[in-house]
Amino acid sequence: MLSRDEIDKRLRELEEKVIRGDLRAIAKQHGEGKLTARERVEKLLDPGSFVEEFMLAETQVTDFGMAEKRQPTDGVVTGHGTIDGRPVYVYAQDRTVLAGAVGSTHAQKISYIIDTARKVGVPLVGLLDSVGARIQEGLDVTRGNGMIFRSNTVASGVIPQISAIMGPCIGVASYSPALTDFILMVKGTSQMFITGPAVIKEVLGEEVTMEELGGWKVHAEQSGCSDLTAENDEACLLEIRRLLSYLPQNAQEAPPRIQSRDDPNRSLDDLESLVPDDMRKPYNVLEVIRRIVDDGEFVELKPRWARNMVIGFGRLDGQTVGCVANQPMFLAGSIDVDAADKASRFIRFCDAFNIPIITLVDVPGFYPGKRQEQMGIIRHGAKMLYAYAEATVPQITVYLRKGYGGAKQAMCTREMGADQVFVWPGVELAVMGGGGAVNVLYKREIESAPDPEAVRKQRMAEYTERFSGPFEALQKQFAHAVIRPAETRRRLIQALRILAGKREKPAPRKHGIMPV
Amino acid sequence: MTEVMAPMDGKILHVKAKVGERVQEDQTVAVMEAMKMEIQIVAPVAGTVVEIRVEPGQAVDPDTIVAVIQ
Repeated sequence: MLSRDEIDKRLRELEEKVIRGDLRAIAKQHGEGKLTARERVEKLLDPGSFVEEFMLAETQVTDFGMAEKRQPTDGVVTGHGTIDGRPVYVYAQDRTVLAGAVGSTHAQKISYIIDTARKVGVPLVGLLDSVGARIQEGLDVTRGNGMIFRSNTVASGVIPQISAIMGPCIGVASYSPALTDFILMVKGTSQMFITGPAVIKEVLGEEVTMEELGGWKVHAEQSGCSDLTAENDEACLLEIRRLLSYLPQNAQEAPPRIQSRDDPNRSLDDLESLVPDDMRKPYNVLEVIRRIVDDGEFVELKPRWARNMVIGFGRLDGQTVGCVANQPMFLAGSIDVDAADKASRFIRFCDAFNIPIITLVDVPGFYPGKRQEQMGIIRHGAKMLYAYAEATVPQITVYLRKGYGGAKQAMCTREMGADQVFVWPGVELAVMGGGGAVNVLYKREIESAPDPEAVRKQRMAEYTERFSGPFEALQKQFAHAVIRPAETRRRLIQALRILAGKREKPAPRKHGIMPV
Repeated sequence: MTEVMAPMDGKILHVKAKVGERVQEDQTVAVMEAMKMEIQIVAPVAGTVVEIRVEPGQAVDPDTIVAVIQ
């Protein structure tokens, strides 16, 4: 039997060895411009707050030489700590231990962390960097991945879940981040894909690099998988801390309210000049948002994908808000399939986590054409309607300039669930744009006129005049009030205060069938 | 060689860049009109404009090559 001293000594040696790590593997990791899993956890969390769990867990699989190769942690560091004093659960795949490959014990540890984070109601942060499944473990790995997916899904909407891709994330393992709420990627060192270069070569005969297949650019600009891109590991970890500062610990809590030093009554004097009167001239709606929110601070999500729709978090008088806005700089601010996807997922996140939604509207319509119809603009656009109509958080809509057609509903009208609707004085709100409307309303008159084009022009001018300005919107209770651009911030904060007590329970049902 | 594509369906209003001109990334190459808005068609990369393939008034769609940059 071992004496107590011998046990202590052996434990200490084991733990020290784990913490010290494999110096050669660590040097390799650093050589790739990356931090190790342990360094990442330290940098992510408040200093000294990390509490590691299951450090000495090892794989129980012995096939294919695993009995000799197995190592403590099984390639993933897990535990809890704090960020800005608030608890979080974290796991970090460790490329310096068994290459961070996902084995059964590794997967059990991750799945356990997610389940526990959900039970105790704290956010989950995953730092991913792994060569993929540990094939020596056969079906045990399949089972492990399945456990992780299920844990992510059950925790969805209960706690915020953030995944940072800080190395390769290969194959089916990519579905864990996809099931979480936010994905961050590090430039140059992170890749995420379902089928790798070798399989593609074999099946399609195509040569493709990991970066081309699933680097940050692909997911930030084309697939829309990635929410934020970081220059390096440190920046990525800071970005996670910043993102969490806007979010509540769980769905039962309100987001943290900070003491804002920005005057809630601050007048936005240059807003009017920023948004041109001429409806044909684009402007950058991000600049509008930055002027409205506290201290100009806005975390824009998915900034390089579906750029015709802007989404992100800001604060108004210290309170977190989610912003959804049409971006006239891209695709004229119209709504296409990707824009609808981008907005609706974000709206649902805000609703799940008690974050009021501010919608800024300047929309010419859904993006027309055969291509969009074939890609399913009906199916995708329906998500926006669904997400807004389903939401029970305070919702405030502001019409900055124009709202044509059915796209208005997709940007949250009163009927769709907006609690407060404001219009700027220069708005133009109509069922459809002047050209199309006149062709329908005055079809016969135009056709039978000696000079059809002159009649068309005249009727169009009348139509435009009729629907320019906020008058019809106010007469028909479409909007609660007209507000001057300069008072937008003050009026939004005022509206948020009166809506703070809004409590609406969704109808009892298992869950709706959201169009996807 | 990078092709500058029209971002959406619409009509070219003006061409801003000239063949042989050096352009920066995000610099406007041409302006088009779509959905009653003026849309800037910008260079996706910095380089020299070697070809302009559209003229004012021309209808374009997302498959239209507006210019080529080297």
